[in-house]
Amino acid sequence: MTTTVNEPATGGAARPAAGLPRLLPLVPGLPEDLRAHLGRYGRPPYRGGPGLLINAIQAAGLTGRGGAAFPVHRKLAVVAGARGRKVIVANGAESEPASHKDDLLLRVAPNLVLDGLQLAAEAVGASEAYLYLHPGHHPELLRAFAERSAAGIDWLQVTLAEAPPRFLAGQESAVVNRLGGGPALPTFVPPRVSDRGLGGAPTLVQNVETLAHIAHIARYGPRWFRALGTDTEPGSMLTTVHHAHGDSQVIEAEMGAPLRALLADQAEAQAVLIGGFHGTWLPISQAAATTLDNQALKKHGAAVGAGLIAALPADRCGLAEAARVTRYLAAESAGQCGPCLNGLPSIAGGLAELAGPRPRRQTRENVERWAGLVTGRGACNHPDGTVRFVRSALKVFARELTRHEQGRCSATNRRPFLPLPQGMPTTEDDWT
Amino acid sequence: MSGTTAFWYASRATGIVALLLLTVVLVLGILVNRQGRLPGLPRFAVTSLHRNISLLAVAFIAAHVLTAVLDSYVSIPLLSGVIPFASGYERLWLSLGAIAFDLMLAMILTSLVRGRLNRTLWRAVHLLAYLCWPIAFAHSIGSSKDLQHGWMLDLAVGCALMVAVAVSWRLVSAARQLPRAGRVAALLAHHGAAPGTRGPQERISR
Repeated sequence: MTTTVNEPATGGAARPAAGLPRLLPLVPGLPEDLRAHLGRYGRPPYRGGPGLLINAIQAAGLTGRGGAAFPVHRKLAVVAGARGRKVIVANGAESEPASHKDDLLLRVAPNLVLDGLQLAAEAVGASEAYLYLHPGHHPELLRAFAERSAAGIDWLQVTLAEAPPRFLAGQESAVVNRLGGGPALPTFVPPRVSDRGLGGAPTLVQNVETLAHIAHIARYGPRWFRALGTDTEPGSMLTTVHHAHGDSQVIEAEMGAPLRALLADQAEAQAVLIGGFHGTWLPISQAAATTLDNQALKKHGAAVGAGLIAALPADRCGLAEAARVTRYLAAESAGQCGPCLNGLPSIAGGLAELAGPRPRRQTRENVERWAGLVTGRGACNHPDGTVRFVRSALKVFARELTRHEQGRCSATNRRPFLPLPQGMPTTEDDWT
Repeated sequence: MSGTTAFWYASRATGIVALLLLTVVLVLGILVNRQGRLPGLPRFAVTSLHRNISLLAVAFIAAHVLTAVLDSYVSIPLLSGVIPFASGYERLWLSLGAIAFDLMLAMILTSLVRGRLNRTLWRAVHLLAYLCWPIAFAHSIGSSKDLQHGWMLDLAVGCALMVAVAVSWRLVSAARQLPRAGRVAALLAHHGAAPGTRGPQERISR
């Protein structure tokens, strides 16, 4: 289940909690200051040297929670094995417009993230640490910075850095480019930032939720971590759930939890977008029958991604939603790679036509052809992710497309559903 | 033709071929910079053509310098191939040749280790091409009696015209180019999916 609330820990000692929530506060929405944090978890258990925590993280089977689900211990080991100056970055630049789990985590449990950052910094032997996030009000975070500095519990001083409001701003190489003083643009891999990142130094970029999990694994060990989740994908993850009735909430869920337990009103939904805007649409019947883990989602061509689960109400036009999001994704192309720069606007234009009345017959074929042309041809996975979204939309909303070809639309509510930011980048300054 | 005049002829011939090759290299380099295409060739092939012909040009220049040195009719020290003002014969014109060759070496060496250099540095060195070609051209015209009349002069003028056209095209095309951040917006508008236009939902007729 996903909503178990355990007894508050007493006595100030670190005592493992048995169920959920692991990351979120015991009293939902109530931020924990340093005193409450230390009371619940105790001080960060430093290992006394680099490398020592990595085995525990490997045994725990933790994967990155920023979207790519990459095994965390492998990135740690690469950076830990390098010599000289090393950098660690806590990535809180949550750029999915519909996702706000990282933002919530930084507000309600900043100390857990900062513990994880410090422990990971020790594990790789980092000499510089950054917390990278979108500008805005994070008073809880600033307070945590001040309290921790006064309490002297940090291994390394952390520098705050701001991310521009761009979809790709949190992409690993874009993060490093931004921290280096340039625009937040992705660059070609290799080199990976873990080999050559900020100023040439091996750089570990980890999502803030991943760091919070590291803080737990350091305290309670891999066995405790594996008490939740599946064998191949242990632990819990934060999800942002948009219910069909319009509310959204951040839910910490066990990996492998049935999606129907997270979706409050499936009867009102027609389809579910899973992962993020680079994710996959599933019809509600399929979504309700599957579970929150990549092993199960892979069968449907989907992935947990950044934890977005958005149920589209039955009264909306799925094609119109897909066209809006695709237009946004095309506008957020960094404009560096030809296939992405030229392909995504074409695809967005095609989808806009498909979302309208009586689209031309060849438009659908064109969109599918263009989708094939951009796949695998970007410096980052923006074209691939966008194509995944578009293809699944064309599949799941195929019947709606037939209606549009006949000049009809089944939607009775024309209000946009998925949240999208206003404006788009037009100058170089918009990327810094 | 004796053994000595063979070197002399070879030096004149390789020099002229090198000028032609350098002209092609510069034009191709401009094409690469503007992401232009040649008919029937993918874009990466234009880049490799630019690279390979520049290496070929260097080979011809090496032959040009060596044969000029080996020729015994006039005395040209080997070092004057890379060091300006080291030659008594045609001091000014040969110095220009040496300077042009040095600039080429700088561009080729930085290109060979491009992966380890930062892009700004590599680019700055590579911009020397626009200095290198006119110097090499002046060296050719100044030191070669061949190029000063007849169809060879036409050839030289043709090279200069090609370079002039290519450089002007580069400047105009660069001035017209939208900044990176504005390109996507322009393309979206072109495809009828510009933000701010009425969304597809609003256009559904019932």
